Amino acid sequence: MSCKKECIAMLLAGGQGSRLYDLTKQTAKPAVSFGGKYRIIDFPLSNCINSGIDTVGVLTQYQPLALNEYIGNGEPWDLDLSRGGLSVLPPYQGGHGADWYKGTANAIYQNLNFIRQYNPDYVLILSGDHIYRMDYSLMLKQHKETGAACTVATITVPIEEASRFGICNTRADGTIYEFEEKPKVPKNNQASMGIYIFNTKTLIEYLEIDEADAKSSNDFGKNVIPNLLANGEKLYAYPFSGYWKDVGTIVSLWESNMDLIGEHPTLDLSDKDFRIFSRNTARPPQWIAKGAEISNAMISSGCRIYGKVQNSILSGGVTVEEGAEVYDSVIMSDVTVSRGAKVYTAIIDSDSTVAEGAVVGKEGNGKDNITVIAKGTTVHAGADRR
Amino acid sequence: MRTSAVGIVFSNLNNNTLSKLTSDRTVAAIPFGCRYRLIDFCLSNLINANITHINIIANYNYRSLLDHIGSGKDWDLARRVGGINVISPYQTSRTPTAKLYSHHMEALKNMKEYISEFKEDTVILMDSDSVLNINFSDVIAAHEKSAADITFVTKTLAPDYTAKHPQLMVSTVAGKIADMALSDSYSERVPELSLNIFVMKTNYLRKLIADAEAAGIESLTEMMLRGYKYANYRTYSFGGYVASVSSFLDYFRCSVDLAKNEKAREELLWKKDAPIFTKVHNSTPTVYHPGAEIADSMIADDCEIEGTVINSVLFRGVKVAKGAVVSNCVLFRGTSVGEGATLNCIVADKDVQITDGVTLSGHENMPFYIQKNRKV
Repeated sequence: MSCKKECIAMLLAGGQGSRLYDLTKQTAKPAVSFGGKYRIIDFPLSNCINSGIDTVGVLTQYQPLALNEYIGNGEPWDLDLSRGGLSVLPPYQGGHGADWYKGTANAIYQNLNFIRQYNPDYVLILSGDHIYRMDYSLMLKQHKETGAACTVATITVPIEEASRFGICNTRADGTIYEFEEKPKVPKNNQASMGIYIFNTKTLIEYLEIDEADAKSSNDFGKNVIPNLLANGEKLYAYPFSGYWKDVGTIVSLWESNMDLIGEHPTLDLSDKDFRIFSRNTARPPQWIAKGAEISNAMISSGCRIYGKVQNSILSGGVTVEEGAEVYDSVIMSDVTVSRGAKVYTAIIDSDSTVAEGAVVGKEGNGKDNITVIAKGTTVHAGADRR
Repeated sequence: MRTSAVGIVFSNLNNNTLSKLTSDRTVAAIPFGCRYRLIDFCLSNLINANITHINIIANYNYRSLLDHIGSGKDWDLARRVGGINVISPYQTSRTPTAKLYSHHMEALKNMKEYISEFKEDTVILMDSDSVLNINFSDVIAAHEKSAADITFVTKTLAPDYTAKHPQLMVSTVAGKIADMALSDSYSERVPELSLNIFVMKTNYLRKLIADAEAAGIESLTEMMLRGYKYANYRTYSFGGYVASVSSFLDYFRCSVDLAKNEKAREELLWKKDAPIFTKVHNSTPTVYHPGAEIADSMIADDCEIEGTVINSVLFRGVKVAKGAVVSNCVLFRGTSVGEGATLNCIVADKDVQITDGVTLSGHENMPFYIQKNRKV
């Protein structure tokens, strides 16, 4: 038996994240590590529980094994509840056959029965590839006050990047009159964050219309939102201010990690009243040896540092041996950087080894030359990766 | 695989020598090794041997212990069958006065009915002040093989050993305990220190409790001292690292030793397939700012370091400001060290604030303790 919920969240976590290349070969993008001890999906899940939303459907499709294992029953986010809580929603076989999720809208459409169980007044649609802290209850408050059919969260982006986003053109009262997906010539810089609150009735109605349209690519940004506008539904923008980053590319993932350190970090996760929760592994405390040199770095438990670490983010269980040097890099869990090895401007995925004397990247490399090392790789000396 | 053993952990009994650290907390809740409390070692050793029914006997100051343990889920002990069970102090018709139990046997007598319901055939009794990473499956196997009445986990003493108070020491002949005494230093007669970890059949414990009731004895040690000549008591000599936290000075030395001594860290915290579990705090990783200088130190998550840290143990959320120098220190959760402050041989309890420029020093034989929440 389920019980009524005012608002439930549907988290789209099935994306392949092909622009993260080697990092998402074996893992769905939401399960990619971030900031030493987190995974990308920790952010929307923590936002949900911090906003008072305790029922979350997580839609998975691409390489779900690591993601499923990571989210488990939702316990790290207090989402292991008997009424509501977290449910993983993979594509399934039904009486009319089995379908993969064809697009974001189709994924929700295929799970309308999950939504109906909770008879919610509102459905919050989220995606699993952004780093941000947001109180969705404030957005829901606005949604209720305006009486909108759908509210789209927006963020100000630099105008020169606006053509990479879905752009919301709004009137002075905040209503949206036009939604352009990746416009060549953007009219403004208010980008959709891919976060929507729908009245449940409206959502079901438009998903059914969308499903019946054989030409639709079943996508919220491309099809459903423009359709609502075309039919004169009341859409409002919810302008969000605060840190938000789409970490869909190697550069943006690296940059977002770097935002955690530096003299004035733009991403601060230390607010104890809005914590980002994550699944913790039992690791010993970090150990810093005599002779280690650490400057401007974020280091997690289980690390052992004997060498030099500068401007870098280290996940749990990383060893930097004597004479090894790590600069401007994101090192994921259980990586060993052996004696005399050097790492410049790289993202090294978990369980990899940089062997004695090997070099990853090149001194002076900037963010346009980030070297990515796939999970479980051994980089040997002489076979340097630049 | 489920093991047919049950654990009984004494959180505090028999201990008044750690007074500073236990003024607000029971021994089991004493913080140790950056992110742990003493109880974590007990619980982790048991669960690493698949012992998932654990009883903790609390008597006083156990709020912080309860807060730490919660439902037990951080140790996978929030279970429908077995799991963790805190036995808080209570009175029975047998103890009509308002006095809390202060001896192991007294506490065991009080929970006699409960023990009679144990389905597991083996029981491990332990205190929480021996910090070690031990494989209890091996201990139980040795116990079964030797058919001992009780197996005592012991450590061979160094000839220069002295303690602040008498401890149980034993010697064996052909593996069987032949001599036993309460003593405070090494002697050739009894060269093994009991780590107060005992393995026995549950039925033997039931019999021991009945005998103690008949004889009117409240102390488990006294029962053992009276019984060893007639019973088959044996030892399991543990060769790995043990921090015996039996006095404040011991505590300080063991803590700082852990920062210096790689072998100790490997045997206690980095042992393969035997992790030490603790309460999850969801804190952020530690940030090292430019100018930070660290040597031989063990540091928890959520710290922020701009100054110098040498041979020290830093718990969660410690802040060391620019120009501050921290050496040979144990700084508990939330300690903040102001700019240019200098600390040497200090144990700072939770949330201590050291303001800018303050210099404080203890001595390695007499470390200086700063109470919880103090501002210096």
